[in-house]
Amino acid sequence: MAGSALATQPQPQSQPAPTATPGRMSRLRRALAERRTRYGLLNAAPVVVYLLILFVYPIFSTLLLSLKGEEGGWTLHWYADAFQGANLEILLTTLRISAETSLLSLVIGFLLANAVTRLKPLWAGLVMLVVIVPHFISALVRTYGWIILLGEHGVVNNVLTDLHIPGAPFQLLYNEIGVVIGTTSVMLPYTVLLLYAVMRAVDRRLLAAAASMGAGRITIFRRVYLPLVASGLVNAGVLCFILCLGYYLTPALMGGPKQTMVASLIDDQVMKQNQWNGASALGIILLLLTFAGLLLLRLLKSAGEAYRKRGTAS
Amino acid sequence: MIGLRPTLAGRVCLAAFATLILLFLALPIIVIVVTSFGNDAFGSFPPHSWTLGWYKQLFADGSKWPAALSLSALVAALTTVFSLILGVTAATALVRSELPLRTAVYGLVLAPLVIPQVVIALGLFLLFEPASMLGSPIAIALGHTVLASPIAVMILMATLKGIDERLEDAAASMGAGRLTVARRITFPLAMPGLVAAAVFSFITSFDEFFVSQFLSSVDTVTLPVQVFNVLQYDVDPSVTAVSALLIAVAVVALALVGVVRRLGGSGRQDGLLPTETTVGLPAGNET
Repeated sequence: MAGSALATQPQPQSQPAPTATPGRMSRLRRALAERRTRYGLLNAAPVVVYLLILFVYPIFSTLLLSLKGEEGGWTLHWYADAFQGANLEILLTTLRISAETSLLSLVIGFLLANAVTRLKPLWAGLVMLVVIVPHFISALVRTYGWIILLGEHGVVNNVLTDLHIPGAPFQLLYNEIGVVIGTTSVMLPYTVLLLYAVMRAVDRRLLAAAASMGAGRITIFRRVYLPLVASGLVNAGVLCFILCLGYYLTPALMGGPKQTMVASLIDDQVMKQNQWNGASALGIILLLLTFAGLLLLRLLKSAGEAYRKRGTAS
Repeated sequence: MIGLRPTLAGRVCLAAFATLILLFLALPIIVIVVTSFGNDAFGSFPPHSWTLGWYKQLFADGSKWPAALSLSALVAALTTVFSLILGVTAATALVRSELPLRTAVYGLVLAPLVIPQVVIALGLFLLFEPASMLGSPIAIALGHTVLASPIAVMILMATLKGIDERLEDAAASMGAGRLTVARRITFPLAMPGLVAAAVFSFITSFDEFFVSQFLSSVDTVTLPVQVFNVLQYDVDPSVTAVSALLIAVAVVALALVGVVRRLGGSGRQDGLLPTETTVGLPAGNET
C-alpha cells in the first residue's frame, strides 16, 4: 500500500513541451534520472513496507487501544488512570531516575571523553575500546555483574569495609543507589561516544589562542571550550534521558518496589493483569515524552544555528 | 604550538580518574567471567577454588538452557537474514539512487532506534497476540528485525558511500549488466560492511530482551529471557556460566568485525561499528 502510494508520485507530470528541445542530452538525463528514481523506489519498498507493518501500524494500534473504552466508544479514561495514585508515582519515579542517571552519565562521560582527547592516540584507542566493548555486551549480563559486585558481601562492600569507611557495608542493591549505578553503567558508553565525537572536533588552537591572550584555565574552559561543546552536552543528556525513560532491565533487577519504572508497569499490566488498554496509554505517554525530547533537541539545534549565524553576520 | 600544558598533578588526577571509570565499565563484565569459573557461584570474589562445573551443568540432562540457546540462535539467524535483505535494499535506495521523500524514508528507517523499546514490544505483542503467534520463532525474529535493520542500514550506507561509484559506472560502460556489476564489483567491495551488518544484526537479536519477553510463550523462551527469569525468580548458579557465554559471543562478534575491517582491503573501512554512525544521528543530522 505504501509502495503504490510512493510509486505514483514521481511519475513525470507531462511530456516536455515541443518548444523546449534544447537537445537530446536533457531528455537522456531525464530518462536516466527517472530510471534511478524507479530503482530507488524499488529498493526502498521492502524496508518501508516492513516498517509500516511491523513498526508504524503496531504503534498506531497501541494508540487506538489506549483511547478505547472497555465497552467500546472513545475515552481518555486510561490516561486519567495513568496520572493518578500509584501510577503517577511510578511516572514521577521514572522521570527522577532518568534525570539522575543521565546527569551522572553526562558528568562522568564529560570527564572521561575530555580525558581521552588529551591522551596519545594509542592510549585513546585503548580507552575507547574499553568503552565500546561493554556497549555491545548484553545489558542484562552487565546488570547481573553489578548484582554480584554490589551485594552485601560483594567486592565493592568488601573493599569499602577493608578501607574502614564508616558505615560499610552499605545497602547498595534493591534501592535507588543500585538502580542509578547500574543504569549509569549501561548508558555511559553512549554519552562518552557522543561527547567524544564532539570534543575531538574542537580545534585546540582556539584554546591555545585564548591562553596566549592571557586567559586563565577557568576562563578558557568557561568562555571557549564549554560553548564549543555545549550542543554536544545537551544532545547527549537528552538522548540519555530518553533512553532511560523506557528502560526496563536494570531497574527491574536492581531496584526495590520504590524504583518501579514505567516499563516495568507496562510489563506487569500486560503479562499479569491483562490490562492492555492501560498499558497502551502508558506506552503512548512514553512515546510522547520521547517526541518531546527529540523536538527539544531539534529546536535547540535550530536556535543554536540561528545564534551562530547572527554571530558571524555582525 | 603553544598548547595548554597540563600540570603533573593534573595529569595524575586525570589518569587515576580515567582508570576508575574504565573499571566502572569493565568490572561487571570481568566479575562474571571470573565467577563463572569459581566454585561458589554467588559467593566471594575472587573465588577460592576453580571449576568448570557450571558449564557442564548447562548441558546436563533436564537443563532448560540448551532449548533456550537453540531458540535464540535460530531467531538470531533469521533476524540476520531479514535484516540483511532490508539493509542492502534500503542502503542502495538511500545512497545509490534518486529517492523522493528520501528524508522521510531515512527517518522511518532510523526511528526504531530512538522509540522506547517497550513501546515497540507492546505494539508487536498487540499485533502477534491476536494471530496467536506468540512463542513462534518467526514472530520473534520479525520483531527483532525492527530493531536490527536500522543498524544494518546504517552500516551498509556507510559502506556504499565508501565505494567509488565510478568503478560501477566503468564496469557498466564496458557492457556489464546490473547484476554482473553487483556481483563482480559492488559485492566484493562491500564484503566488510556486509559481514559487519550481519554480525551486529545477529548480536542485536541474540541479546535482545524486551521484544522477546513480550513475544515469548511459556515454553518458548529465548536465552536472555531465561537469564532474566532466573535472576528474578529462581536461583540457578549456572546462570553465571550462561552470562559468560553471552559475553564470549559478543566479544567474538566484535573481534570478527575487527578482523574484517583490517582485511577490508585498500580503502578505509569506516562505519563498520554502529557506534561510529549512530553518534549524533538521532538529533537529525542527516548525512
